[in-house]
Amino acid sequence: MAAAEPKGHGQHSGMWIYPDAKVISQDVSEKSKDMAKPFRTALVVTGILFILAIVGFIARAADDGFDEIGPWGYYTALFSMLFMVTSGAPLAACAFRFTKSHWRRPLSRVAELFSIVSILNLLMFIPMMIVLPSLENPAGSVEGQMELRRSIWFEGPIGAPHAWNLAGVAFLTITSIAILWTSAIADMGEARHSATGLKGWLYRKLAGGWYGTKRQWNVQKAGLALLGAFYFMIVVFMHFTISSDYAQSLIPGWKDSIFPVLYTVTAFQASLGAILVTLFILRRWGGYEGYIGKSTFWSASKVLLGLTLLWVYHLFAFFITFWYGRLEVEQNIIKYLIVDTYSVIFLLNLAFSFVLPFAVLVWNPVRRSDWGPSLAGLLALIGGLMFNIRIFVGSANAAPGENIYHFLLHKVPAPVYPDIWDLFIVVGGLGAAVFIYLVSTRILPILSIWEVKEGTFYQKWGKLHRGEYQILGKPE
Amino acid sequence: MQEGKPLQSKQINRELLLTILNSPKWFFTTVSVLGIIVMVAMGAAGYMINQGFGVTGLNRPVMWGFFITNFVFWIGISHAGVMLSAILRLSKAEWRRPATRAAEILTVFSLMTAMTMPLIHTGRPWRTVYWIYTLPFVPYDYARGIWPNVRTPLVWDPSAVYTYLTSSILFVVVALIPDFAVLRDRTTGMSHRIYGLLAMGWQGNARQWKLQIIAGVLLSALILPVFVSVHSIVSWDFGMAVSVKSWHSTVFAPYFVVGAVHSGVSAVAFVLILLRYVYGWQNYIRHEHIDALARLLVVVATGWFYFLVMEILFGFYGREADEIAVRDYQFMVSPWNIWMMIFVGVTYFLPVAIWLSRSARRNLWIMSLACISVNIGMWLERFLIIVPGLARKQLLTFDWYTYTPSAVEWIIVGGTFAMVTMLMLVIARVVPLIPLYDIKEGEILRTEIKIGRVTVPAVFRED
Amino acid sequence: MAKKPILGLFETADNAADAGDALKSAGVAPTDFDFLTDAPYPEGAFGEREENHRLYIFPFVGALIGLTVGIMLTSMTQMAYPLVQGGKPILSMPPMAVVTYESTMLTAIVFTIIGIIFESRLPAFKEGLYDTRITEGYIGVLVNVDEEQLTSTQTLLTQAGAIDVVRKDGGSGA
Repeated sequence: MAAAEPKGHGQHSGMWIYPDAKVISQDVSEKSKDMAKPFRTALVVTGILFILAIVGFIARAADDGFDEIGPWGYYTALFSMLFMVTSGAPLAACAFRFTKSHWRRPLSRVAELFSIVSILNLLMFIPMMIVLPSLENPAGSVEGQMELRRSIWFEGPIGAPHAWNLAGVAFLTITSIAILWTSAIADMGEARHSATGLKGWLYRKLAGGWYGTKRQWNVQKAGLALLGAFYFMIVVFMHFTISSDYAQSLIPGWKDSIFPVLYTVTAFQASLGAILVTLFILRRWGGYEGYIGKSTFWSASKVLLGLTLLWVYHLFAFFITFWYGRLEVEQNIIKYLIVDTYSVIFLLNLAFSFVLPFAVLVWNPVRRSDWGPSLAGLLALIGGLMFNIRIFVGSANAAPGENIYHFLLHKVPAPVYPDIWDLFIVVGGLGAAVFIYLVSTRILPILSIWEVKEGTFYQKWGKLHRGEYQILGKPE
Repeated sequence: MQEGKPLQSKQINRELLLTILNSPKWFFTTVSVLGIIVMVAMGAAGYMINQGFGVTGLNRPVMWGFFITNFVFWIGISHAGVMLSAILRLSKAEWRRPATRAAEILTVFSLMTAMTMPLIHTGRPWRTVYWIYTLPFVPYDYARGIWPNVRTPLVWDPSAVYTYLTSSILFVVVALIPDFAVLRDRTTGMSHRIYGLLAMGWQGNARQWKLQIIAGVLLSALILPVFVSVHSIVSWDFGMAVSVKSWHSTVFAPYFVVGAVHSGVSAVAFVLILLRYVYGWQNYIRHEHIDALARLLVVVATGWFYFLVMEILFGFYGREADEIAVRDYQFMVSPWNIWMMIFVGVTYFLPVAIWLSRSARRNLWIMSLACISVNIGMWLERFLIIVPGLARKQLLTFDWYTYTPSAVEWIIVGGTFAMVTMLMLVIARVVPLIPLYDIKEGEILRTEIKIGRVTVPAVFRED
Repeated sequence: MAKKPILGLFETADNAADAGDALKSAGVAPTDFDFLTDAPYPEGAFGEREENHRLYIFPFVGALIGLTVGIMLTSMTQMAYPLVQGGKPILSMPPMAVVTYESTMLTAIVFTIIGIIFESRLPAFKEGLYDTRITEGYIGVLVNVDEEQLTSTQTLLTQAGAIDVVRKDGGSGA
């Protein structure tokens, strides 16, 4: 049996799981091979969506080409959504490892597996490089227009922004996969002799030298810490560049120092939401209830509540600064992105990124359940999608053609609604991401076996006088 | 963690109540000296109010200088209390135990000190009374037909600061009830009566302790949003202005908040090191606590640095001549560029370089230097935001000038540091600066886990 | 008959817990005895009764009051002095939101404090039986029993390991 009955004290009863370290490897290995009907159905459905996404992409390219960014607004929004989730999720694993929390153990691999989906990001980014308007005004020096449009690259050093952004997205992908490999090496090493076929070959190639010596564990720990710190810096940098180049830079006069921060917070919120939804599915239908206790949801829900509040805080900081000064360009941007053109999407964004998750997470009993934080996570994911559509569709269509080289946004543009290819791209693209994630769960175990086993050393259930409580070891 | 040896209640009471039940010889001398400095500062303020603002370095266009810098600085220091007390309580970090009370009390006194700055900065402080003398009567200035701007951040500011001050005071007082009970039981005469009144009949039964624990968590959760809002609103005193070019930046709110946490937590770390040295609290303020604070500070400092880069980068991003003029003044004109380099160096690079080394984190002299360096840097940060922006204020380019603080301003600012130190010392004679029951609770929950041959420290946890 | 208090002082938590068990076995109701400590023990550490409270109502009520006051104060002030400032509307929502938020939080916190003090059954200046050694680390077991049971209760506490037993009439012993 994977775990004894869940334990807990008082109102926290049933929250802690104490897996049996002796059976984890075998149990999880069997679950990884299992292709139950719901899983196969999910693979088929998401596979079809993947194909739809490709159809949508080809049709969009055939219809509009790659000359203007306007028709690619929804594509950019989808890229950004996937980028947010896949870049933020491995960071969650690193961050919670850094804080030495024990509740993160079942969450680590679930989060790190999103790095495989980030390969899709890299491929998706290539057309985005092509459609991005050049920094230099092709018309040269024209009255009423800038010779060089505003960007974070200023005078536009060699390769900016395309090469730098591509290099950044590539680095991000490589680093997140490196984190995944470093984390999974112990599990692959353990399973390399029992795994067969392609999986066995892969494990032997990637973890052939792993024997679990003290030195190897120490190097792994140091590696994860260093990669985590490095990854954190790249993630924040890339959020800054992508949000600036594909959003802020494309609306003339939008000078907003908090936007990269808001983008990053939205990314963290959405990625944590995705992790919680995945954990819920695993616990309820995946047979992992012996490994994923409610305590993980309880602790992660506090982080999600914090991120939700941070989101609305950063949004308000942006809004009130723009609102107060009554500068024409700032008023136009507020009208465009918030109160007028994209007001419906904004309200949906506000509802799903703040109001609804906050309403769910503010109740302690709901946060103690598994469904509560997961529901809030799902709402945050929808909110993140609304955010990306509002911002990136808005930015792509704010100043078409030569208007992008104007100094300021003088007119509030009209909204751009999705057509059938945009729907194929967005819905299909999300399905494609899920498809790749599902496939990756067959390659690597979705539970970080070594981390959960390590947790069994440090988490016990013990007696203090007449009461029974959780005992948490603090090795450092 | 948990490097210290187990402590008994009697020992904890004796050592932590030392500051209250005994009078060290240095105490009265130190407080007297600080009191003299405070009185000199008050005299300088009185002189300034009598003679007018001409005795300061303030003049068009730099209307805000040392006083407002100092105001923002002390509001920033006040953020340590909630950061350590609330956030660490919510995340159940064991190492918060000795730090929370000192941080909360520092919050209260630094807020009170901060509030004196805009008061004297009005030049005619009695007019503030007319302005706030309100419901149900009409404020004086309104009655004379002068309608102030009620939508301004200068109205949001006092609402936020008063909320934070009231909340912090109430938080400290409620958390002090069990310690007042200990003092009630250890004193006689008038002290016993006063502590008895403050303890409100506390017995220490299960219900009372349960409510105390819940109070700590619930108040922490309620004060956290207030803490974020306070320094955001202070930042909006600057951020809302469109005529001061380097101020109108959307990132000011989180930038100021993280900067406040940076300076506040550094200040608390320094205060803890001082307390350990002065009162001999090696059993309570251990190297592990300072180590943990330093590691937290690395994260906070890096976050702060990110916001600094955002602020500066987007200042240049707009490529507007008027903003470039300010940035040029900050980065290219002496002595401002030298101050900028010093500021970034002492606020981030020097302390973080120190904090990345385990041996340096555990060396209390080096840690003290790092923490002081951060606070010098953070004071400079506020100064370098306020003054260069005003010195290059648009559209009054014919008024561009510089700012040199006068002796009066130096004395008043110096007086605020003396005031906070003096108040901290005085309060240490009245309440324990380390919460007794928190330390005792840490001892109760302390346990061990055996893994093979090694014994790992552990804690009991209810949730 | 009115119940009388008796207080046993114990050196260790285990002894105090033993006393609690003995009292329960002797038929003393859980609502009739309390454990007095100088530090919080985890809930249930002595096998004591669960304490219910309704503290969470206080911040909600406070927040609602604060929200109402904040909205009234800001909106009525703006409407009373209808001066267009900086091109902003007379009823400007964002500044209202800031001040209303602060008043909401302030009142929520003030009411929470009131709630904490009230739910802790403080102030309780007419204290029951108490001993200053509790804040020295001793654990007090405060029992309320009928007068005729005082002696048997004293014996029970002593047998459980009490180093001293204090009665309201000034008597003590172990």
